[in-house]
Amino acid sequence: MSDLGSNGLRTANSRLDGAVRSVIDRVHLQRGAGRMVILLVVTFLLFAALNPRVFLNPVNLQNIMVGAPEIGLISLAMMIAMLTGGIDLSVVAIANMAAITVSSLYTLVAATSGPETAEAMSGLIILAGIAMGALLGAVNGVLVSVVGVTPILTTLGTMQLFNGLALVWTGGVTISGAPTVLTTIGKTTLIGIPVLFLVLIVAAIVLALVIDRTPIGRKVQLQGANPAAARYSGISARSTLMLTYTVSGLLGALAGLVFLARNPSASADYGSSYVLLAIVIAVLGGTNPNGGFATVLGVVLATLTLQVVSSGFTAMRLSAYEYAIAQGVLLIAVMVFDQINFRRRRRSPLPAPPASSETVAIATERRRKDTGE
Amino acid sequence: MDILRRLRGANNEGVLAAVIIVVAIAMALASPAFFTPSTFFGLVRSSLVPLIFALGVLLVMISGGIDVSFPAIAIFAAYTTVQWSSQASFDPTLVGIFAIAIVIGALWGLVNGVVIARFRLPTLIVTLGTQGIIKGILLTYIGSAYISAAKLPPSISDAGDAHLVDIPGAGYLHGMLIPVVIVVVAVWWMLKHTTFGRSIFAIGGDIEAARRVGIKVVRTQILLYVLVGALAAFGGVISVILGKNANPQSLVGTELDIIAAVVLGGASIFGGRGSVFGTVLGVVLVQLINNNLVLIGIPSTWQRAAVGALLIIGVSIQALAALRDRRKPVLLEEEVSRA
Repeated sequence: MSDLGSNGLRTANSRLDGAVRSVIDRVHLQRGAGRMVILLVVTFLLFAALNPRVFLNPVNLQNIMVGAPEIGLISLAMMIAMLTGGIDLSVVAIANMAAITVSSLYTLVAATSGPETAEAMSGLIILAGIAMGALLGAVNGVLVSVVGVTPILTTLGTMQLFNGLALVWTGGVTISGAPTVLTTIGKTTLIGIPVLFLVLIVAAIVLALVIDRTPIGRKVQLQGANPAAARYSGISARSTLMLTYTVSGLLGALAGLVFLARNPSASADYGSSYVLLAIVIAVLGGTNPNGGFATVLGVVLATLTLQVVSSGFTAMRLSAYEYAIAQGVLLIAVMVFDQINFRRRRRSPLPAPPASSETVAIATERRRKDTGE
Repeated sequence: MDILRRLRGANNEGVLAAVIIVVAIAMALASPAFFTPSTFFGLVRSSLVPLIFALGVLLVMISGGIDVSFPAIAIFAAYTTVQWSSQASFDPTLVGIFAIAIVIGALWGLVNGVVIARFRLPTLIVTLGTQGIIKGILLTYIGSAYISAAKLPPSISDAGDAHLVDIPGAGYLHGMLIPVVIVVVAVWWMLKHTTFGRSIFAIGGDIEAARRVGIKVVRTQILLYVLVGALAAFGGVISVILGKNANPQSLVGTELDIIAAVVLGGASIFGGRGSVFGTVLGVVLVQLINNNLVLIGIPSTWQRAAVGALLIIGVSIQALAALRDRRKPVLLEEEVSRA
């Protein structure tokens, strides 16, 4: 009896896994990455053609790569929360808290035991900043998974709280000072590529491997795709969500370190427009705001696209406000396009081949029920 | 038990009112300066604009959405109207200014509504997009210059100085309180007593069920966003009147604070629940803390943290109560009282 039950569970599990896998693969190819590659190439070529002298200047290209990491890391943090069907509005506040932690610890040590000691301890100080990010992420995790508050409300509240604590800590002013290690990283390039950009790429690759290749990543995806199915598959929502928001906090802290590397100062209200921008990037990159689907590659490409558009607009002497219009139009156009496409696919009499495996799985499930198997 | 439940209110309004009273008493004990007309007048004055915005947020939230574009719509409508009026040196009177701004706001609301309802897109994402577009158009094509008090149309400056009660040396009660109270009552009445109002609740409760009982979901949603756009524009003009200047960079960035106040007021982010009374209390509580924390010896830098902590505590208590409810067997009586 129990043997049969576990067997049934296993087949259901593998079927579920197959369905999820096929859906993810399809999205992987069609929604996020593929489309963003085209958009990135088109926008790049467009601005290169419109103003090649300024836009293709190596300095400009390097600026794109230096500007991308901080918003890219924040968008990845947003993406992973959205992957579980949540959202993380507090991620910029976490990034600032991490930056403030590092900056104020560094100045404190430098003031009490001399700058040399502060430099020698900078590894430890940076670790403290990362720990702060993870801790604040874990606070979100506890509220979402243990207390059961909706992610959007949790992070709306913690955004205010963390931001408020950062204000209290700094007294509302910009504090300066950062370990030389960080500022050096901010200035260094490897064969013309800024190290900060490589930080983003490495973080993205690690995150992509965790999401796509590890059981933990699968759990996170399944939690977002279908929480009920995840529960019946024996996945603990509590630990999955806890992990998700802690990782989101970690990525936020990393973004905070990038803030410091670019400019050795920290304040409570740096990057306040980044929260909404990160949502825009995550959605453009193919993240489903309702959870279940997201690709790291798509988000990285979307970050680059928006950076290209931003610097292209600057090259064309267009204002930041026109850039805001472009962002909005791009976001809504992509969403409307997706929706029309989705409806057309659903209406077409012949199911598209990638969708069939899922349909078959459901159909066999029904048949099994009908025959009383 | 029954009286207790009624006191508590359908959306915990009673609890919120109790919290406000406790905070007020604490502030009064800590500082004799609290119980003065000027504190009260200041509280009323600073609550007016957030309250109007909060009503718009409440309506969208009851229908199951989240709107972050309202500050952009508000300042777009108010700034465009005032700028046109001051450049044309034509003063269309206070009523005229409100009317023009409200039409502009309603048109932006129509854009939101059509995109959201026709394509069934997530409201947060759509309004995020329109927010950027609206702010961008305002600053690029309409104007980015600050309009000072001297250049405002006379009817606006006059309204800025209209006081209901004026106690020399102790502040004044601003005249804009009257239109704001009228709008608050109108929204309450609409939600409670009109088919449209009940339809918003129905859509927020269960959109498919609403469709099946014959509510025209698309039309209602579009109308709702038009109304919310108009409300935002109304709030925008009031903020220009109170501030005695029109700054195209202002207001945007306050959206999450307003949403926090509405959530504190007991509205459910999933839709279908919320009340005007609760929203008023939520806004008042946030403003009470923002205005008077300094009075009880806490530095003003703690404001944000205090509101954040309050919000987290509030939603945590709600979530824990929901968790406990789910474990209890279903009670019919409870269902009835909640409906």
